[in-house]
Amino acid sequence: MTNPDVVVIGGGIIGCCCAYYLAKQRLKVAIVEKGSICSEASKSCQGHLFLWELPAINIKLAKASKKLYEQLYNELDIDFELRNTGSMSIAEKPQDLETLQQTLNELRQAGVECQMLSAKEFIKTEPNVTRDISGGASFPEDGQLNPLLTTIALTQAVKKLGADIRHFTEVTGIELSADKSSIVAVETTKGKIGTKYVINAAGAWSGQIGRMVGINIPVVPRRGNLIVTEQVPDNIINCQIIIASGYLDSLKRENKTAVAANVQQTREGNLLLGSSREFAGFDKNVNPEVISLIVKRCIRFFPVLADLHTIRSWAGLRPYSPDMLPIISSSPIEGFYVASGHEGVGITMGPITGKLITQLITKQQLDLPVDQLSVERFAEKQ
Amino acid sequence: MKNLKKISKQKQRTYEGESDLNIENADMIICRCQEVTLKDIVQAIAEDATTVNEIKRRTRAGMGLCQGRSCSRLVRKILAEHTGQKFAKVIPGTFRPPVRPIALSTLASLEEDTDDKS
Ligand SMILES: Cc1cc2nc3c(=O)[nH]c(=O)nc-3n(C[C@H](O)[C@H](O)[C@H](O)COP(=O)(O)OP(=O)(O)OC[C@H]3O[C@@H](n4cnc5c(N)ncnc54)[C@H](O)[C@@H]3O)c2cc1C
Ligand code: FES
Repeated sequence: MTNPDVVVIGGGIIGCCCAYYLAKQRLKVAIVEKGSICSEASKSCQGHLFLWELPAINIKLAKASKKLYEQLYNELDIDFELRNTGSMSIAEKPQDLETLQQTLNELRQAGVECQMLSAKEFIKTEPNVTRDISGGASFPEDGQLNPLLTTIALTQAVKKLGADIRHFTEVTGIELSADKSSIVAVETTKGKIGTKYVINAAGAWSGQIGRMVGINIPVVPRRGNLIVTEQVPDNIINCQIIIASGYLDSLKRENKTAVAANVQQTREGNLLLGSSREFAGFDKNVNPEVISLIVKRCIRFFPVLADLHTIRSWAGLRPYSPDMLPIISSSPIEGFYVASGHEGVGITMGPITGKLITQLITKQQLDLPVDQLSVERFAEKQ
Repeated sequence: MKNLKKISKQKQRTYEGESDLNIENADMIICRCQEVTLKDIVQAIAEDATTVNEIKRRTRAGMGLCQGRSCSRLVRKILAEHTGQKFAKVIPGTFRPPVRPIALSTLASLEEDTDDKS
């Protein structure tokens, strides 16, 4: 086998998107994945295209990414269930309504389409919601997709473009040139792969890859639990994505364990109940207490859920970066790039991340400035 | 072997020796909960799926109400046949809690129980 131009470490949504845009530029790509393709965070998540996570740079990335998904939907062979669902947020108490109003002001400034709703208006669109709410908001630009099918569609496309997919192959080291300024090869459990470019798209594990070349990437796993119900009719909730107030709060790092009700319906009809955030290392066991709390919060808003059945639950590891901004970056080592730290919006930001990384490598004009997203913001000062 | 009992005679035969998992039976339903056919699974294998989980992600076989209790052995068997691996070598799927569907109201009260104890 001839050497690839680029080795992408990690076959999650981020790695697959990078591989796709690189392969379209006729670069020879190899994806190296320690498990099977899409077997970690990108498998364990909801497919919400979330266009209102502040700060403004995140919103710009998310919006650009959604446009790219619309293009991908036409380009790729598999129907990955992309839908324009919109999303809604519930304000539980009067003070939540106030906070929501403030957030909406900021969001509008950042260019997000959004609308406040009175309790009455909310209940009119969602007849199954409890009467005991203060109001809410709607975000018509949000969308949804099936993350499993999306990564599969992408891997199929990159294979057609000549990429090499090496699953069940773990990266164990990276060989640098004698002066440690550039990449020579990637060492794996199945042998060495010579290459000039490496993209670190190893999600929650990207810090480990960083250590192999002496670059500080303080990304850590942030666990999220999800509960899946049996398939149910589509009139339990009308807007397919509903998030309770408290979600934006749950993102803050001070919260060691945070839960906010988040109900989504997939195209197949199952409801996905979330969401939670915990720092628990690389432990992927579900936390029964957290699961119970999630369900309780979801039933609090939608009492009809109490009678439904859950068929499975799981936990996944979000790649958390300490400032809640992704890392989309070149690095002091020539040929070493980082695409990680997307926390709870990696599905949303996949395509734009892949495109920007490709533009960085091929030295083309960038769709968006990435200075704020550089890995050097974490460089250890000496 | 307990879960074999749940499977129809025809399917049961396929666990042993010469099977009828050939392409003439392409429309045979392998996963009843999600109505996934033999053809769908063979297609996923043609697209490089090598484990039960990979087949699940592509076809939804095993994602239904019974969570693969009825179909996952059969999927393993098909994988073994079509990839030339030994049945025992095919990596089985992950079983995720709960083992049986349970009411959300029951899950919600779990936490209250633990509260009581403390
Ligand atoms: C419960 C939950 C709900 C979520 N909901 C949403 C949502 O609705 N919308 C949204 O946009 N995002 C959501 N997310 C976030 C999203 O899942 C992640 O941001 C995204 O999947 C990260 O993708 P990734 O490719 O960086 O990481 P991963 O998918 O984890 O991929 C990284 C890959 O690298 C591989 N790897 C690691 N180390 C090595 C090595 N040494 N050698 C080879 N391979 C290696 C891993 O095996 C893994 O497959 C959710 C997350 C969770 C947990
Ligand atoms: S038969 Fe496949 S999940 Fe039930």
